[in-house]
Amino acid sequence: MSDADSPPTDAPSDDSFEPVEPNTGEEFEPVDVFPDSEDFDLRPGADSCYKCSTCDTNCPVAEVDDEFPGPKFQGPEQWRLKQTDDDHTVDDSIMDCSNCMRCDNACPSGVPLSQMHNTARGEYVSQEMSKTSVEYWRNRILSNYRTSAWLASKLPRVANFAMNFGPARWLMEKTMGVTKEREFPEFARQTFREWWASEGGAAGSRERARERRERRGDPVDADKKIAYFHGCYSNYNTPEVAKALVRVYEHFGYEIVVPDQKCSGTPMFANGMLADARRHAEVNISSMADLIEEGYDAIASCTSCSMALRQEYPELFDIEGVDDVAAHTFESVEYLRIHEDLKGAVQAAEIDDDLAEEFAYHAPCHARNQGLDRQAVELFGDLDGVGIEDVGDSCSGISGTYGWKAEKYEKSMQIGEEMFEHMEAADGEVGMTECPTCAMQMEHGTGYEIRHPMELLEAALVD
Amino acid sequence: MPSTPHVVVIGGGSTGAGIARDLSMRGVEVTLLEQGNLTHGTTGRMHGLLHSGGRYAVADQASAEECIEENRVLRDIASHCVEMTGGLFVKRPEDSEEYFQEKLAGCRECGIPAEVISAEEARSMEPHLAADIEKAITVPDGAVDPFRLVVANAASAQEHGARIETHSTVTDLLVEDEEVVGVEVEHASGPGKRVHGTEGGREEIRADYVVNATGAWAGRIGEMAGVDIEVRPSKGVMTIMNVRQVDTVINRCKPKGDADIVVPHETTAILGTTDEEVDDPEDYPEEQWEVDMMIDTLKELVPMLEKARTIRSFWGVRPLYEPPDVGSEDPTDITRDYFLLDHAERDGLDGMTSIVGGKFTTYRMMGEEISDHVCEKFGIDADCRTDEVPLPGSEEFSVLRDYMDEFGLRSPIGRRSVERLGSRAEEVLDTDEPNPVVCGCEGVTRAEVQDAIEGAGSDLNAVRIRTRASMGNCQGGFCCHRLANELSREYDEVTTRAAWDELLQERWKGQRHALWGEQLSQAMLNYAMQAATQNRDSDPADGDDIEFAAFDGGREAPDPSADEAGVATDGGEDGH
Repeated sequence: MSDADSPPTDAPSDDSFEPVEPNTGEEFEPVDVFPDSEDFDLRPGADSCYKCSTCDTNCPVAEVDDEFPGPKFQGPEQWRLKQTDDDHTVDDSIMDCSNCMRCDNACPSGVPLSQMHNTARGEYVSQEMSKTSVEYWRNRILSNYRTSAWLASKLPRVANFAMNFGPARWLMEKTMGVTKEREFPEFARQTFREWWASEGGAAGSRERARERRERRGDPVDADKKIAYFHGCYSNYNTPEVAKALVRVYEHFGYEIVVPDQKCSGTPMFANGMLADARRHAEVNISSMADLIEEGYDAIASCTSCSMALRQEYPELFDIEGVDDVAAHTFESVEYLRIHEDLKGAVQAAEIDDDLAEEFAYHAPCHARNQGLDRQAVELFGDLDGVGIEDVGDSCSGISGTYGWKAEKYEKSMQIGEEMFEHMEAADGEVGMTECPTCAMQMEHGTGYEIRHPMELLEAALVD
Repeated sequence: MPSTPHVVVIGGGSTGAGIARDLSMRGVEVTLLEQGNLTHGTTGRMHGLLHSGGRYAVADQASAEECIEENRVLRDIASHCVEMTGGLFVKRPEDSEEYFQEKLAGCRECGIPAEVISAEEARSMEPHLAADIEKAITVPDGAVDPFRLVVANAASAQEHGARIETHSTVTDLLVEDEEVVGVEVEHASGPGKRVHGTEGGREEIRADYVVNATGAWAGRIGEMAGVDIEVRPSKGVMTIMNVRQVDTVINRCKPKGDADIVVPHETTAILGTTDEEVDDPEDYPEEQWEVDMMIDTLKELVPMLEKARTIRSFWGVRPLYEPPDVGSEDPTDITRDYFLLDHAERDGLDGMTSIVGGKFTTYRMMGEEISDHVCEKFGIDADCRTDEVPLPGSEEFSVLRDYMDEFGLRSPIGRRSVERLGSRAEEVLDTDEPNPVVCGCEGVTRAEVQDAIEGAGSDLNAVRIRTRASMGNCQGGFCCHRLANELSREYDEVTTRAAWDELLQERWKGQRHALWGEQLSQAMLNYAMQAATQNRDSDPADGDDIEFAAFDGGREAPDPSADEAGVATDGGEDGH
């Protein structure tokens, strides 16, 4: 099939069991109550709730935080009890939700839980939270990680020293409520985008892809092109992941473009900073939509980024092109599994370098929501020279910025406890996950080195 | 008159409770008798519209003028029962322009503030309105909770010395020398608030005067004294939606017709209605097609109704009355005005007046008129004050407060509780006891439930109408047993079970005509849970007590000769 084709999305035949499709938002059209704002009336979403409480029993925060009322209250119950008049307030417990979105996946009946939470949180922050409070600014800074990372990348050595300098961290905890327990991620001396430019950018990629096609015996003009959404973390902190993606995709003959992009918005949704998120989303959608029109698909190596483009953007923002972008966004391993014989390639390969390890694999919650939670285990189970073990279906507990907040740190570690134990019990001492903040938590809790599936694919497939 | 007269008011709906309050405030001794719970008849089966009068502004202007007058009074004296949502008369392309203009002119003639707004303005107020509507008229319609309003009236009457008897059926009128001198009553339980299992019995209540405020049942009371009251009961169906699709009352701007109104009511929206004459106010067909037709018609105004979740349907019976010489064919033509029938003048029977017709919105005015009438008979010179003294709960209060700080409640729960309790909020919610949420759908806490039990006795349906507990989307699936548990703090197992059974039956009853889609799934889940975890799959009609001993006989009396403590059948340790 042509690579520009969408993956098969045929509806199941009439006689097959068709479960309720979760969270598509198709059952009702949320209407823009105030055309100039981002407020949607989500009350009709409560129609799907049977009060079964499966969401509550799957909520990792509710499990460790007795004060937290849980997703059922914050989603369908709060929305149903809500009035649209101006002085109706959103309960402040909405700020204790970590936005792991496991409730979406847990719900047997398609309640748009995370959309309800995100929207209510946005309302709470814009209308009720003091804009001069430490909490607001702490959250704003945390959720605008891209800005801090951009600054730090200018002087990575200084930043790396300063950000993990004890007294400075003590001060940050005391004044800003950013926990001093965690190690700040290291900033790369060369960002991915700097490297990408030095490699010749899109033109260089085109050339390499054509060469590769020739060697593979593919038509040189094959329509294989992707727009890479690298996200902030693999640009500033782990460019090795982004580079691996480039090499793997070029190996399969794809030409890559790396369009202008900003933060996916994931940390902003989680902190109710919807205006910030919208600003960034507008840039991302605009650059991705143009490319999609030209036949590119959008590929992300971070599962929260792909989640944002696929689900949160269309649920939260009414931006031209948002649905096209959502329909054409894929996670990096997922896309290759759809369009290439990735399994065959991996089965034929062998790892004998420093990645010949036993991996303890954790599926990020946001990967789970995209149905990707088994892909790495299924894929690498067949790879000679490595072992991979799924460490279970618990949440890592960090949920992006959640675990960085001083008042949430202990809870974050309690949530992660199950994953840490399973990692310790697994063979080997290297972890693997698609999500950069899950990786931080895995490393923090076990001391293991954590790798991305793209890195292992690179080692297996790219000469 | 040397001594205070004693007046028996029959009928615990809005009219009867309003009369009881008015008369007792004027110093009259009152006994209010209701065969079921308060609001049991028509009042509890209305769509919760506080009329602006707009609906009658063309065809029935007398009613329209009364409505707008009372609309203003109730906003003031019953503020905790009223939500001023505003209302719209929406014109679709196929609706007559001429009638639209008549409606506008009619509203203005009756003193109802009315403005024309464009389709765009209407849709910015109510985004779910159909895209092809043409324009609308704004009127001051509102939403009113009939349960709270009647309970507050009864509570006020009680504060002024009235005796309120629910579950007390009038079985006969005592007539001596062409004069009604009292009533014979069958109490389902002991006097005062209802407690299951307490002995009821027959009582003769002597009265100086009897007021028949039984609405659609008025003819039946009349018969007991041989007078003919031609009430023409007319049924209407209403369907409750799970959430509010609109926050404004939406009327279709058409001369008349079925299915032309959507009323936002608390957490829900109520669709109404039909108008069809019936013979018996207690026994008439409730048919699925009526519900289907209503949703089909109303989706022309609010298209999303077609797919939206319904939670219940119910039928109410209007107590319409028209003087025998009018002879309207169609019940929609019968006036909504009320009539005071003094049986002394009309039938030569002293000691009783009936009040018939009328509507919920004008209940207080009806109460005032009949109280004037009664006071005049007894030469009592006391002014009506029900139009200025707020009902209990409607004294000054604010919904803008810090619920967590004041009551330890999360904001939507605190807000809903205060909206229901009004000025009684502190008294009820300010507690040192743990105060968990009992009903999650409607945000009802233990404190509010306990307060209702205090007022209602062992009757969980009476608790329900006071608090809205079990009236949300799971229809009691997740809270009926919790409510029963609250009751069991004060009442024994047999009483609690009887009340619990009644509540479950009542909850199931109203869901029958809304069982498709999501609500059907909800019902299946409720059934499975109630059957599997609460032993509810036995025949509820057999009424046998559960033989707990068959499940667990409990611990035998300890055998003094045994050396060691055994293990109890529940697995717990014996003896300590």
